[in-house]
Amino acid sequence: MESFELKRSKDSVNSDQSAHWSSFPDEVLERVLSRLKSHRDRSSASLVCKDWYHAERWSRTNVFIGNCYSVSQEIVVRRFSRIRSVTLKGKPRFSDFNLVPENWGANIHAWLVVFAAKYPFLEELRLKRMAINDQSLEFLAVSFPNFKALSLLSCDGFSTNGLAAIATHCKNLTELDIQENDIDDIGGSWLSCFPESFTSLEVLNFANLTSDINFDALEKLVGRCKSMRVLKLNRSVSLEQLQRLLVNAPRLAELGTGSFSQELIVREYEELESALSNCKNMHTLSGLWDAKGIYLPALYPACTHLTFLNLSYAALQSLELAKLLPHRRRLKHLWVLDTVEDKGLEAVGLNCPLLEELRVFPADPFDDEIVHGVTDAGFVAVSFGCPRLHYVLYFCRQMTNAAVATIVQNCPDFTHFRLCIMNPGQPDHLTNEPMDEAFGAVVKTCTKLQRLSVSGRLTDRTFEYIGRYAKNLETLSVAFAGSSDWGMQCVLGGCPKLRKLEIRDCPFGNAALLSGLEKYESMRSLWMSACNVTMNGCRLLAREMPRLNIEVMKEDGSDDSQADKVYVYRSIAGPRRDAPRSVLTL
Amino acid sequence: MPDMELQLGLALPTPNIMKGFDLNNHGLHHLKQTGCFSDKSKRSFDQAFGNFKQDRKTKTLLLWSGQPNEEEDHKDQKKTTFSAIDDNDEEEVEQVVGWPPIKTWRKKIFKQPNGAGGIENNRVADKEKSRSIYVKVKMEGVAITRKVDISLYLSYQTLTNSLIAMFSKDKKCGDDDYTRYILTYQDKEGDWLIAGDIPWQSFTRSVQRLKIIRNRD
Repeated sequence: MESFELKRSKDSVNSDQSAHWSSFPDEVLERVLSRLKSHRDRSSASLVCKDWYHAERWSRTNVFIGNCYSVSQEIVVRRFSRIRSVTLKGKPRFSDFNLVPENWGANIHAWLVVFAAKYPFLEELRLKRMAINDQSLEFLAVSFPNFKALSLLSCDGFSTNGLAAIATHCKNLTELDIQENDIDDIGGSWLSCFPESFTSLEVLNFANLTSDINFDALEKLVGRCKSMRVLKLNRSVSLEQLQRLLVNAPRLAELGTGSFSQELIVREYEELESALSNCKNMHTLSGLWDAKGIYLPALYPACTHLTFLNLSYAALQSLELAKLLPHRRRLKHLWVLDTVEDKGLEAVGLNCPLLEELRVFPADPFDDEIVHGVTDAGFVAVSFGCPRLHYVLYFCRQMTNAAVATIVQNCPDFTHFRLCIMNPGQPDHLTNEPMDEAFGAVVKTCTKLQRLSVSGRLTDRTFEYIGRYAKNLETLSVAFAGSSDWGMQCVLGGCPKLRKLEIRDCPFGNAALLSGLEKYESMRSLWMSACNVTMNGCRLLAREMPRLNIEVMKEDGSDDSQADKVYVYRSIAGPRRDAPRSVLTL
Repeated sequence: MPDMELQLGLALPTPNIMKGFDLNNHGLHHLKQTGCFSDKSKRSFDQAFGNFKQDRKTKTLLLWSGQPNEEEDHKDQKKTTFSAIDDNDEEEVEQVVGWPPIKTWRKKIFKQPNGAGGIENNRVADKEKSRSIYVKVKMEGVAITRKVDISLYLSYQTLTNSLIAMFSKDKKCGDDDYTRYILTYQDKEGDWLIAGDIPWQSFTRSVQRLKIIRNRD
């Protein structure tokens, strides 16, 4: 489909019989465009011409809003009338680390009210970093008779009572996915609220909840939901209970176990092993809370088709991981704790040739006294064995420039490179130099790089490299790095595809902030905290760029002129009206 | 030189690391100033042992500048937060707000009573025999703390042998071969006692931390 041809024939609706694209009847155009799934493709299609714009908006059933304040509810419902599925993201990512004040905003309720009026047939709602309370959950449950799927990731403000409302009223629910939320777990019987007649659940994830659940209700629920394919339990579910559930759900594709450390007698162990090996469709396994080495062999015969193994709640030692892995040659995604140490990662390199994603989380992140965990050696070992590696999140206490250079040479296809050297501003531990050359190597070698998190001691040179070489970079996270404004200016002046920039504790000031004037409108957002930006700098930015929202959050007791936390984002909705007092909108 | 080896092995947030300090003297001097480490020349046996009993609540402040800048007196130098390093502090304290960037709920996993293998706590609740009992071990004059699994040992002798092996490479020059060490432990009540007085099994149920101190008798 050539767009330039279409632009030449704008007024073709009622014209000749020539087979120009734009003379297709609307329904055909809509039918074709409805095949487009990617939001970016849809956005591009909507820009071609007016016909396409309308056909696209009438055929769109799924709307993705990456920043809930970038657009208003009215604008959304006016443009799209047939929405069945909504994805909304709210707070800036640094709210995950307590950097955003409470009550900052991103409350879902106003959206729900509008959706209830305009999208009564809404089926799916996926929220990330939004605030949602029990009343909203209840409102959701009763307002949308066709509601099928609820996914809450990193949200806050609700309790298990809200879940009870969902269970009670959503008769067609297929998915209830509660992940990583700040949830008030009052416990109780929300699971028992699913009626006896309810059988449609396919996805149930409550791994996040801490309190005991009503196992009897769960067992019955799993028993009658024959299409269940994803089940992620919380820690309160024991091994023996797990076995009972699995017997009734052998078709599970994704399993999150509960606690994996009950003492079992031989018969119970064998029953568990058998139940696990009967799950022939299982490709994803997580949970394994408190897993003890002696029970892990129960996993060996099962799940030889595993592609995703999440061991990040199990403090496994290197040997335990080394014994587990030879059965997992198909692994593509592996999450572990750094208790496996470099030796464990060597085993990964030896046994997982198809590995695409590795995440290593720290078991003791705040304890500087302890020196264990993983180092540069472990990462290098993985890179030698896993050439397809393209996503890494690596928390470590030491790294070298040479190691990173080797790693990217072995794995040039990185799309996501998130390296966290946990000690802020730490240099190369062998040469004591800054880690500039490491990240230089990353951006020079990994041309497909979309996401980068830098750490360690970094001068402006790192940012010169990034600005110059990271042509596909979309998300950049920076902490405790840089020497001067020049660093940030390099990034803003380069990186043509930059969408999200989040910075904390760096010596970047107003000159840096203002150098991105033109850039911010093509980005989703900018976050700067504990930098050198002042209120005057922010006011100037606000004056120059009226289509940007500039929000400043001040810390207690700080200088009046300092802009402690700045959040800049583009918006067609204008400044928001629901900001709390602690957030100043300029 | 043991001092240098120790320095390189450490990952501590001090401004000097960011400056690129002279490993031989400057760094260690600064680290001593911040009070992170026990300085053997300054502490007598009594002081070392006495500290365990008194003042468990005093904290050593490690002031850390929020700006990784070259100049110490940069006028906008910010102190993000300060960390409290207390030998006897059972809780782990965050050094800097929101750093390392670990999601809140993940931090909560480690603080559960059962622990994710009990890594973050000093001990794992040892309900089952198969559970490990990890306790921290510090040696006087050595910056690095280690962890041992007490459940792997059957007697004081085997434990001591293992500790000697573990820490032998950390012995500083200047110690002669006749320097003797005492193994002390902190019990459930928080008191520091000399190890060996109670039966081994009682010890394993009671020990919270270990510290190896120099015997200056």
